[in-house]
Amino acid sequence: MPRILIVDDSPTIRKMVRASLRALESFDFVEAANGLEAIEQVAIGPVALMILDLNMPDMHGVDVLKFLRRHPGSRGVPVVVLTTRGDDSSRETAIAAGATEYMTKPFVPHALLSAARELLGGASE
Amino acid sequence: VTQNFPDFLDDYFAECEEHLAGVRRLLLALEGSVGQADINRPVLDELFRHFHSLKGISGMVELRQAEDLAHRLEDYLRALRQGSAILSADGIDALLDGTMMLEQVIGVRRSGGTFPDGAVVAARIATLLKAPTAASIDTPNRSHGVARQSAATRWRCTFVPSAELVVRGIRVDTVRERLASAGQILDAVPRVTANGSIVFDFVLAAELDIDVAASWAADGIQVERIEADAPAPAAPFPADPAEPDRTSSGAAATSHFVRVDLARLDELMRNVGDLVISRARLADTLSRAEGHIPAGEWRAVQENAIAIDRQLRTLREGIMRVRLVPVGEIFRRMPFVVRDLARETGKRVRMDLQGQSTEIDKFLIERMMDPVLHLVRNAVSHGIETAEERVAAGKRPEGTIVLSAATAGDIVCIDIADDGRGVDPDEVIARAHAAGLALPPGAPDAATLLSLLCAPGFSTRDETDRASGRGIGMSVVLAAVEELSGTLRLETEKGTGTRFVIELPVTLAITDALIATVAGETFAVPQGAVREVVEIPVDALLQVERNEMMPYRGGALPVMRLSRMFGLPDSSRDRLHLFVVGVAGAAVGIAVDRIVGQREIVVRAIVDSLVKVDGISGATDLGDGHVVLILDPAKLARQMRERPDRLIAAAKGATA
Repeated sequence: MPRILIVDDSPTIRKMVRASLRALESFDFVEAANGLEAIEQVAIGPVALMILDLNMPDMHGVDVLKFLRRHPGSRGVPVVVLTTRGDDSSRETAIAAGATEYMTKPFVPHALLSAARELLGGASE
Repeated sequence: VTQNFPDFLDDYFAECEEHLAGVRRLLLALEGSVGQADINRPVLDELFRHFHSLKGISGMVELRQAEDLAHRLEDYLRALRQGSAILSADGIDALLDGTMMLEQVIGVRRSGGTFPDGAVVAARIATLLKAPTAASIDTPNRSHGVARQSAATRWRCTFVPSAELVVRGIRVDTVRERLASAGQILDAVPRVTANGSIVFDFVLAAELDIDVAASWAADGIQVERIEADAPAPAAPFPADPAEPDRTSSGAAATSHFVRVDLARLDELMRNVGDLVISRARLADTLSRAEGHIPAGEWRAVQENAIAIDRQLRTLREGIMRVRLVPVGEIFRRMPFVVRDLARETGKRVRMDLQGQSTEIDKFLIERMMDPVLHLVRNAVSHGIETAEERVAAGKRPEGTIVLSAATAGDIVCIDIADDGRGVDPDEVIARAHAAGLALPPGAPDAATLLSLLCAPGFSTRDETDRASGRGIGMSVVLAAVEELSGTLRLETEKGTGTRFVIELPVTLAITDALIATVAGETFAVPQGAVREVVEIPVDALLQVERNEMMPYRGGALPVMRLSRMFGLPDSSRDRLHLFVVGVAGAAVGIAVDRIVGQREIVVRAIVDSLVKVDGISGATDLGDGHVVLILDPAKLARQMRERPDRLIAAAKGATA
């Protein structure tokens, strides 16, 4: 099954994201608690969609994005940046680094779901 | 009401606890940096991230007060990181107070109550952010922690991740841990190789055994030596010398931990409890079948039974271990309480924590929190004198409170000691008189003092009442300790100090017990509570007024006959067996007819209030189909000492 990767250092947020996207039944969900783990997931298999936090230990989400966009295999992966309001990085920074969509926490579950559906296109049906 | 994520509150509270524990630890580490321009950057970063996460998750569960508070604290930390503010004494106070308030807000969301007013903290931080700072003029070295120059050889370790390795549990995080335990990681970055795959490059400063390094190849790690003249890389994760607790810092160490709902562990424990009972049943059946089984077969059966016994005990101990958490979890917040209260009362107090890694059951930790907090607050309000009084008494102006924990076998000992003024027996007696409490004749010993301090209605000074702990008094402390089958002890010397010792069983659900009979009825007595078992002839008992006493170590102890307590006929034997329970001054002898053995019992609490009798802590099934009552010796002893006649009368009423 194609995979959706949820990257956030908060286990509570990862669980909430997963619950919000529960309706996407034809996908496997994988989680990563930091940037290096996220990149490892990308290294070992294709990812259909990534939900990415920015302020994480050791490797900032923006650096994860920049890396992904340099990697031929994941250049096209849609990434929803999901970051806490008032974060150091603005929407512009994130989009410039390669984010496909930018949303802030607290988020509304169905808003995240519809963004995910849109980015996955026909695959989410 | 949380509209979007109603089912995640427990996750939220659990994660908040982790962040708050981290914040407390880091704030203590930061306290030493007050007024310095060069603050430990990794500590600031980690602290910032904790508040940032608290803000994020609080927003998700729509706890606006917490979100806002965390946001303010984060603002201040951001200013510190950017060098636009300097960490002042006011600043650390605001961080400490803000953290306490954040904790309160989360507590109110969890258990109800009134939200504290966060505007105060917000205003304080706004003032701090406006204050001009020396640091904003000259901050040459603040932007990054500087890696200490390590003399160790440098190695480039390249890890190639793969799905196969993940299956074997080898992931970038475990590799990082492995490297970190071999030396100091100076750099960790992902890299896209020429053929488009992804690898991770680590730079490690370590004295590596070349054979060990070579063996890592099987786990996807290639190691090569970096020649000395190669340029040294920048250090994004310098090891932090001030870091007190490596295992809880950063993401690297967290991947091995699984968060488990305590209810699931309770369930497992119940299952093991059932197994213990089934095992006892099997033993009972086997003992009756012994004569019918050929001797050769019997030996095999017995060997198997013994093996099951042993394995069951291992399983039980394993599950108990899983439930254990370091007592540091409740200890770490105490310095904050002390600090705050000391400031309020104008005293100088230093707090020492010892044995923080001592592990006790999660259930016990939660219930011990308030009693320990109360005793620590008491030590500040009642124990430690003002600096002037201390100097006048020839002591150092700064008082010391030592909070320590240790385990001895199945018992955990929590010890709260201060070097303050001690408990004044005359004052206690005067107040006990005023409160209309009955007093034993003669000079009170420590146990008597403690029982007076813990008597309901023994009031303390008003102004310290408020300070001494959220409306719980010593009577509640004692009740909480006894409810957990623990004991509370007082040692004090006027002018020198006071020490409270709490002793608790490490875990509750399954325990070793002595099994005794009284007029054909069977009772269980938890072994941890029994100090000694003695046997004396009935005619050696002394009659003192309406109570029976037994000679014991040159003195006499009051005797409680279980037969009388439960309205059963007295034994016709001419010898009695007695359990000596309770601590030195408050010990009593509990008399039974016979002691029939020692067993592992599964404690089941009695929840039906009609059946609830003081002095009975629960019931158990010994495996022979009989339900047996478990005595609560500490409570029996205390009630016996306080009101022997009333207790016996009440017990008769309850069982009649």
